[in-house]
Amino acid sequence: MRSQVTRPAINRRQFGKLAGAAGLALGVSPAWMRAALADTATPDSAEIIAGKVSGLIVHNAKLGVMETPLTLLRKYEHTPKEIMFNRFHFPHEGDAAWYATTKVPSADMVKNWTIRVDGLVERPRTLTIADLQARPQETRVSVLQCAGNGRSFYAAKEKVGGGQWKNGGMACVEWEGVPLKPLLDDLKMVPSADAHWLTAEGWDQPATPEGSDFAKSYHMADSALDNAILALKMNGEAIPATSGGPVRLIIPGYYGNMNVKMLTVLLFDAEQSNSAYQSVGYRMPNMPVEPGQFEANDYTIYNSVPTYGHKIKSVIFSPLPEDKAVAGAVTITGVAFNDGEAKITSVEVSADGGKSWQAADVKDAESPWAWYHWSAKGTLASGANVLMCRATDALGRTQPMDGLTRWNPRGYEWNGVDRVEITI
Amino acid sequence: MRPVSVTVFCVVVGATAALAAEQQFNLPQGPGRELVYGNCQTCHDLQSVLDSAGIRRGAWNALLDNMKGYGLRISADQRAKILDYLGTYLGPNPPAAAAATGAAATGAADGAQVFADICAACHQAKGEGQPGDFPPLAGNPDLFLATDFPATVVLNGLTGAIDVAGDSLDQTMPAFDFLSDDEIAAVIKYVRASWGNDKLRPAGFADLTAGEVAARRAKAMTPEEVHAYRGSLEKK
Repeated sequence: MRSQVTRPAINRRQFGKLAGAAGLALGVSPAWMRAALADTATPDSAEIIAGKVSGLIVHNAKLGVMETPLTLLRKYEHTPKEIMFNRFHFPHEGDAAWYATTKVPSADMVKNWTIRVDGLVERPRTLTIADLQARPQETRVSVLQCAGNGRSFYAAKEKVGGGQWKNGGMACVEWEGVPLKPLLDDLKMVPSADAHWLTAEGWDQPATPEGSDFAKSYHMADSALDNAILALKMNGEAIPATSGGPVRLIIPGYYGNMNVKMLTVLLFDAEQSNSAYQSVGYRMPNMPVEPGQFEANDYTIYNSVPTYGHKIKSVIFSPLPEDKAVAGAVTITGVAFNDGEAKITSVEVSADGGKSWQAADVKDAESPWAWYHWSAKGTLASGANVLMCRATDALGRTQPMDGLTRWNPRGYEWNGVDRVEITI
Repeated sequence: MRPVSVTVFCVVVGATAALAAEQQFNLPQGPGRELVYGNCQTCHDLQSVLDSAGIRRGAWNALLDNMKGYGLRISADQRAKILDYLGTYLGPNPPAAAAATGAAATGAADGAQVFADICAACHQAKGEGQPGDFPPLAGNPDLFLATDFPATVVLNGLTGAIDVAGDSLDQTMPAFDFLSDDEIAAVIKYVRASWGNDKLRPAGFADLTAGEVAARRAKAMTPEEVHAYRGSLEKK
């Protein structure tokens, strides 16, 4: 949704052109491709977003894209804001610089914040944060995961363009806010019978007027909306600006992009949004696709679906190569989660590259959408060990042994059996 | 959609941070490289491009289509050049980097080539610049403000309002300190001798040497300090 706000006086295109020409061109060696990033002094995560800890894995400084090393992520039951992965779609520069911080938005901003609820309704409404605070609040503990989490693993079939995420683009967070459906009912807006879709938009805007604004659409009949909240708090305090404050639409169990940050608009519509982020981006093909036969721009609303609920997934938290484990008995631990539609009933673990498997102990999760902790005993031998884990839920949904079968040109929804190699 | 009342403008801070964050990515040498630098950093930094290195030409092609959806506006000719560059130098089998200019290594920097590769993207092929955006280098008296002045700008960048040959500009030029001392000496020599600039040359004005560029490099300045340095030279 285009704003009436005049862009800052600086011409970003020219600025980028100017600033861009200055690379750090030292390596004219045959190994430039490996050397290029090593030579590059990528800004530290703490410099990019104020309040983040140092040493998060940066994928794009200008967009504040960073993931959490698992050695850090595994320390916390609820992921603190300081280490939580981050993804913006537009540069946090100029008049958008305010949200590149783990601090909460200013009191003025919160006071003046509005959510326009509009579209195919007889009575459009405008909500303030105070309106939301006056209503009953509910909590949802949920894994939030970037749809691109694990993208780098698809390279074993064919590398996919974009940020090369490992497993750290996820977090388990407690959200608190106003249940969406009862709120919409109470507003008595009288939606048209044709209003099959609800579209959410946030405050952020593309860097150029030609860019598609970010918008996400949900089918009104989607039962996941029954659990959705307009969240005002994260981990017990007001939502940090960088995590989407002052208000974020949270659909528990849904991939990160579906949880619109800095919510400003809810639109009842007959169709899903034509935003590139809904109609082409953040989608999975309906059918298996092969590199070269289905490209990143071949997505339509007919041959693909948005990245809605988390595909069932498990990740090994320990031991990791950084732990320098020794040969002998070892406890293998990790987490598992899905879209919350069914309980995770088992996690199988292998310490020998998949030759033998054993059932892990799986602890109950604190909510259907939170992560389940699991652990299993194993033995590490001298030399190379390959640890693997695979989760299954009560609907029989499980992780593909070979995640590459779900290769897709945008590299989303990686949920192949996790593998950790430990060499002793 | 942004509520108007809460909009905060902090252009200067944002721009400075962005400059610091953008001066880092080293793309392989090759034709079209400057177009990537010039067009692909408006919305994201070049880590996105480098981290995607190795994907097929067809995947780059689709990616450029995606970028159109995200706001990339380039001519068909520019698109073709960018695709050739990405598909070749950031494709699955990039040519050996030895094929690149290699001027820095041999010490025989070609000023005209450096200008075409690096400077012409903004200052244009014949140094004519773009009114209001990029100052002309043809007929620009700044070239002879001091022996080391152009090198100071190239090494450190320049930000702030300037008047050049009747054109008023207020833009930021980033530092091009990745160029070697030889390359900077050569490109400045080339610019000072081209497009009639030799007519502006004061009698006995000597070109600077690579050694002098190195000495200048040792004294780092901020782009604002370079602007002030320019002002002090103009007064003389």
